[in-house]
Amino acid sequence: MVIVKRKELSLAERLYLPEIARVLSLSFRAMFKKKVTRQYPEEPLPTTAVTRGQPRLVLLEDNQHLACVSCGLCEAACPAYAITIDGGETDRPIEREPERFEIDMLRCILCGFCEEACPKDAIFMSNELELADFSRQALVYDIEKLKRPRAALQGRIDYFYGANDRWRKRSSTS
Amino acid sequence: MNPVLVMVLKTLLIYGGVITLAAGLTLAERKVAAWIQWRIGPNRVGPWGVLQPLADGVKFIFKEELVPAGANKLLFRLAPMMAAAPAMMSLAVIPFAGDLSFFGFDTRLAIADFPISAMYIPAVAGLGIYGIILGGWSSNSKYSLLGGLRASAQMISYELALILAILAVVVMTGSLSLDDIVAGQRGGIQDWNLWRQPLAFVLFVVATFAETNRHPFDFAECEPELVGGFHTEYSSMKFALFFLGEYVAMIVMASLTTTLFLGGYEVPWFPEAPWFLQLGAFLVKTSFFLFLFLWVRWTLPRFRFDQLMNLGWKTMLPLSLANTFITGMVISLR
Repeated sequence: MVIVKRKELSLAERLYLPEIARVLSLSFRAMFKKKVTRQYPEEPLPTTAVTRGQPRLVLLEDNQHLACVSCGLCEAACPAYAITIDGGETDRPIEREPERFEIDMLRCILCGFCEEACPKDAIFMSNELELADFSRQALVYDIEKLKRPRAALQGRIDYFYGANDRWRKRSSTS
Repeated sequence: MNPVLVMVLKTLLIYGGVITLAAGLTLAERKVAAWIQWRIGPNRVGPWGVLQPLADGVKFIFKEELVPAGANKLLFRLAPMMAAAPAMMSLAVIPFAGDLSFFGFDTRLAIADFPISAMYIPAVAGLGIYGIILGGWSSNSKYSLLGGLRASAQMISYELALILAILAVVVMTGSLSLDDIVAGQRGGIQDWNLWRQPLAFVLFVVATFAETNRHPFDFAECEPELVGGFHTEYSSMKFALFFLGEYVAMIVMASLTTTLFLGGYEVPWFPEAPWFLQLGAFLVKTSFFLFLFLWVRWTLPRFRFDQLMNLGWKTMLPLSLANTFITGMVISLR
């Protein structure tokens, strides 16, 4: 059994008023503290390479064609069934590319499984976080809305490989 | 110039000014709350958020007016008016400034001044409780009813201390007229009643917090326990009217504190000040107490109900009685 002794209050504490004056001075000083508010739309959220935002498709060096070969692994890996791919043939040395690649951003749970599943470095989680529109249809993103030059995703790509390398080294020693 | 016209102009001026001030006070409250919590506060509507009260007012007007099923419709509609009207009525005797010349017509910047104005304010402000308790009762909701009951119990227990604190000042001055009380404090800061009646001042300030249902005594609302207290079921302009009443009551009580204890509109060491300087001095002193209302609200936690009753009946009432008694003794022996 624990006996908790109640703290004896001094006369000043029992009178309330000196203590109230003390706490009022505390809150008065708080008024001049540095503000912690972030003015959101003008002052965007800080993002780093670790930020796992919305998935985006990587363009090849020519900035025209997608790195995606429509293998369908991300579609299969997606736990929310957000990805829909229709494959197509091309005349380029890379013979396949998606005819249709849609991510329903309302279904996407930003888990990053597509990024891990991709064998072609074609899909990465970008640092784009904002998602708002007026209709459900507008939030089903197609290739035009999803494609990004490789430079825009470079930070995330480097982080992704760094993390993977660390994991590989650890598993090889064990 | 026609005295009636002057009266009407003065009334419009003072009421317009005070209601604007009350609207500004809602913004000030949110700003002070934000600053104390290291935030910025409303800053989207207009520069520095100054148009926020206007936006709020427009929003209130366009909201749907709901009357809950089983409510007493007449009293439900009447209650907000009964809560706001006494606060506005008590405004009538506050002397905002001394003599002023108004297109060649000498008058005072107070709507009325009659010989018992110091007793008129608590008498009329006490009627505000009817609005609150009827609003609570007529909405047919247990939270509203409890809020109204608590408010009435609280107001009764604090009104006594409030009136006795005023009485001490009145005994010192020897007059029930607010103008005489202000005139009695003419001179420097050392002539303020604050130094002659420090205990009455503290009791009065604490009692005004309870009287206006402000933190730490806001048992009429008491959000965590009673949803919204007496105005849980109110919406739209009816709700806004309760709010307006509360803020006007705050202004009245702050003005009364200024008038009774801080020399009213008198500019210290400058008794011949023109009316606009006097009005400025009055506003500065009153704003301090208005700020105190906000400052205390965002600093202190709410009392428990039994603590409130203990403080009212076992501490403040005996203290104010003793204070009145000693003041009377000293005055009569002098």
